[in-house]
Amino acid sequence: MTMTTSVDAGIAARAINLVKIYGAGDTGVRALDGLSVEFRRGEFTAIMGPSGSGKSTLMHCLAGLDTATSGTVAIGATDLTGLSDKKMTKLRRDRIGFVFQAYNLVPTLTAIENITLPLDIAGRRPNPEWLRSIVNTLGLADRLSHRPSELSGGQQQRVACARALISQPEIIFGDEPTGNLDSRSSGEVLGILRESVNRLGQTVVVVTHDPRAASYADRVVFLADGRIVDEMRQPTAERVLDRMKNLEG
Amino acid sequence: MFGGKAMRRVSRRSLVAHKVRLVLTVISVVLGTAFVAGSFVFTDTLKHTFNGIFSEADKGVDVRVDARNASNPGVPFTLAGQIKSVPGVRAVQLEASAPLVLIGKNGKRVSTGGAPSEGTIWNPPAESIKTPPTFVAGTAPAGPGDVVINEKAAKKAKLSVGDHTKVVLPTRGVLPVTISGIYHTNTETGGYVGVEFTKAEGLQLFTDGTHVEAVSIAGASGVSEQALRDRVAKLLPSDLQAKTGDQVRKDDRDSVAKALSFVNIFLLAFGAIALIVGTFIIYNTFTMIIAQRVRELALLRAIGAARRQVRSSVLFEATLIGVVGGALGVAGGIGLAVGLRALLDALDVGLPSGALVISPRTVIVALLVGTIVTLLSAYAPARRASRTPPVAAMREEFASSQGSLRRRSVVGLVATVLGILAAIRGATIDSNGTGASLIGLGLLVTGAGVLLLAPVLSRYIIGGLGRVLARPFGPVGRLARTNSVRNPRRTAATAFALTVGLMLVSGIAVIGTSTKASINSLIDNDVRADYILSGTGDTPVPLPAVAQAAKVQGVQSMTELHPVETTINGDDQSGIGVDGPLPPIVKIDYRQGGGAVTGTSMQISQTTAKDKHWKLGDHVTLATPGGASVTETITGIYDDSQLLGGWLVSGDTYRKLTPSSRYSDFVALVKAAPGTSPASLRANLEQVTDPYYTIDIRNKQEFKGQQANQINGLLGLLYGLLGLAIVIAILGIINTLALSVVERRREIGMLRAVGLLRGQLRRTVYVESLLIAVFGAVLGLAIGLTFGSLFTHRLKDQGLDVLQIPWGQALLFLVIAAVVGVLAALWPAARAARTKPLEAIAEG
Repeated sequence: MTMTTSVDAGIAARAINLVKIYGAGDTGVRALDGLSVEFRRGEFTAIMGPSGSGKSTLMHCLAGLDTATSGTVAIGATDLTGLSDKKMTKLRRDRIGFVFQAYNLVPTLTAIENITLPLDIAGRRPNPEWLRSIVNTLGLADRLSHRPSELSGGQQQRVACARALISQPEIIFGDEPTGNLDSRSSGEVLGILRESVNRLGQTVVVVTHDPRAASYADRVVFLADGRIVDEMRQPTAERVLDRMKNLEG
Repeated sequence: MFGGKAMRRVSRRSLVAHKVRLVLTVISVVLGTAFVAGSFVFTDTLKHTFNGIFSEADKGVDVRVDARNASNPGVPFTLAGQIKSVPGVRAVQLEASAPLVLIGKNGKRVSTGGAPSEGTIWNPPAESIKTPPTFVAGTAPAGPGDVVINEKAAKKAKLSVGDHTKVVLPTRGVLPVTISGIYHTNTETGGYVGVEFTKAEGLQLFTDGTHVEAVSIAGASGVSEQALRDRVAKLLPSDLQAKTGDQVRKDDRDSVAKALSFVNIFLLAFGAIALIVGTFIIYNTFTMIIAQRVRELALLRAIGAARRQVRSSVLFEATLIGVVGGALGVAGGIGLAVGLRALLDALDVGLPSGALVISPRTVIVALLVGTIVTLLSAYAPARRASRTPPVAAMREEFASSQGSLRRRSVVGLVATVLGILAAIRGATIDSNGTGASLIGLGLLVTGAGVLLLAPVLSRYIIGGLGRVLARPFGPVGRLARTNSVRNPRRTAATAFALTVGLMLVSGIAVIGTSTKASINSLIDNDVRADYILSGTGDTPVPLPAVAQAAKVQGVQSMTELHPVETTINGDDQSGIGVDGPLPPIVKIDYRQGGGAVTGTSMQISQTTAKDKHWKLGDHVTLATPGGASVTETITGIYDDSQLLGGWLVSGDTYRKLTPSSRYSDFVALVKAAPGTSPASLRANLEQVTDPYYTIDIRNKQEFKGQQANQINGLLGLLYGLLGLAIVIAILGIINTLALSVVERRREIGMLRAVGLLRGQLRRTVYVESLLIAVFGAVLGLAIGLTFGSLFTHRLKDQGLDVLQIPWGQALLFLVIAAVVGVLAALWPAARAARTKPLEAIAEG
């Protein structure tokens, strides 16, 4: 099922001609309307767009959480089309990291157990140096034995970031990762993701509606009605805000 | 009473919207009520059928004369003649019968299951006061050796008119007979064998030659039963009584009701267990439903629903579930009764058949019980629901305040300790009755205490168990372990259903195993006989066979034991009559005196001596009311023996006290002559006993096996019925897990998103369920084994002097619980595995 044609080694993920229709017939909604996009390795991309523009759907399809109606999605050299649930799950486990809006930690596990969860379920041991460096960078060293309910929202999201980083995935997807956080915590979390791109060459794609969050990215992709309508490099919060006003207006 | 139309609509919609949990909750109500309804239907039906049989059998009887005391020889023939001449008496019929065994065409005994197999007198229609049965074939018996038999027995024995066969009578031995006729009667229980002889032969075979069991009298028209009874009563000596026909039939009905009340209580007890277990499931379900509906309920509160309305709406749901569950329970109960009867029929237990009786009482009780139990179970969750603050509607996640477990645990610990102390006192106290009650009370208190303690215990026990059992599953095992203690109250309530079931099963297992061990040790230590002769099934050993067997080559001694029923100083007493020497066949240690039990010598156990204040050389008078009396001299006092009981008299005394028509051996014991080979002795014995069809010869080992089989049969029945509690427990686990899976939808979605495979997810649910089930089983086993042991200790004096704990069985129960846990998790796990990773992100 995997496609190893001569794709550009610099592309971490790509979508070609992606169509996603919810429902059927006349009442069907085209959430993605023949969209194509690429994400380069070592780049931080923000996907923006008004409500219903299809930005979350795009991310779900890219991350192997949802399947498109037509078109292809590839992570690295692997075509996701038609992948079995088992292969898709393993792909998510080994090659993709997630940061969700609602943290989504396992409440019964401690912070450290949550961090190493993807490795644990794969039956692999974390590299101790790597683990220590993540924990220290994210300022979680003294919180490792706490359960999620004993952590603040910002701390929980930092644990979620650590969980995404631990397996050194090819790409990390964030779905409104700062949606539930105050501005200080938001800044911390985005700073962590930014740092991982700068220092480790990590590839990060986040969906957000917050122009300030988008300003941390190298590139912003704007969606409307299931298509990419614009792109921006080296964004600032002001420029993004302006662009969004145009889109919505 | 309920919060208006709108709230009812919300309740109804909520019920319909969650069909699965609705079905599971209803099933738990149905199982409990079905057993209650089923036990009523079953016993009502049996009672009705038996009443029909007896009222038919005693139809036409206006007065009956019989003995006041069962050990009395009965009504003298001579009295019957006198009664006949009482004015107003139209007909007099002598009643005499004896158990017998009919030999079929194939030369084998006709087994009846549990139904009677008896010989009686054929009354020609002219002399009969009852409606005589109709002939299917042949004619009435005309002379000696002629018999008529009932149609079903004839069919079973493959006998037809003119056939020559045999019957075996315990007192007379084998008798050749000829079938002269086959009769039909509606009033027989399944398997019944009725062989009827001519009056002359019947009186000779079934009586002592002077007495009959009873005399039935029909009055001339126009004479009331009461007037006739009073006239007849004037003729009777004090040991006989006259009853009106109405009284006879009422006594019949009462004895049926009494005999069946045990069955009813037994079945109702299982209904109660099912309901208690069901209560936890209903409670758990409602608690979880409410936890899941917190936002919905809070929304209702926010838009103005009063607390009372919220509570009522939950109770309204409970009422609906209770009524529906109760109604289905009635239907299930009828099915259960039909199934139970079919099962007993298949086992040839010999119960009569008749139309099912479904009384209004059955329906009302089942509906009430179903509704009340459901309402009680739902009350606490409903109250908690009404306390939902409106603001919970706005919060992302509202953790219903779980409060501290401390107070609950302290109360539980105190109750558990008090319960165990009470039971230990009960096991060691002097009085048997009070002791048993104390143990029962202790069990209840401990059960309640452990229930309260269970949430705290779950942390430690599942924590410990989890580290061992979940280890092979790695990280999946860790997830499962932490999941199963996530909500200790819920885990405790779920596991407790299994606890109750296993507590009863393992308690009974301890008593059963100890009983077997005690009997084995008794036989090993106290029985010295080489062979034991006993009747097949309930039939006594035919006396002529024993006499013949005693003469067989290789028999050194033969000892017969007879059941003696008599009165001593006016009290009914039972003891053993002995023919032959005791020391060769049984261990007997004399404290004082000793020697053979012959003539008028009597030997008593140490306890009898103590209780009755009898000494060596004392004279004791044994009497049969209206019959003989014998004065005995105490010649020996022996150490208490389970085999010998309270007192022994000679066979001569036995025969003086007992009507000759009732002479019997319950067992005859053979000591082999030195140097005799067991095999040849056995062959010789079989040669003389085989013609009697009904004698089993067993050596000690076989005798032990037979006793063990009887106990195993009884245990099997109990285990089967207690399996019900386990079935309900499985439903409870399914229910809890299914609801948990729904509750954790987001978390499961997230785990799937970060790479948990479907198989791994399913395994997580299996292991979680396995841990909960094993936890419940461990608690149940701990209580059951403890209380079973204490109860066995209590029964030490009743012969349970060996305490044996069935560790192997306990381990098996644990394994079964683990398997049950995994099976219960199959469906919830499949549901969990269908959770899409997107649900972690999706709202809702």
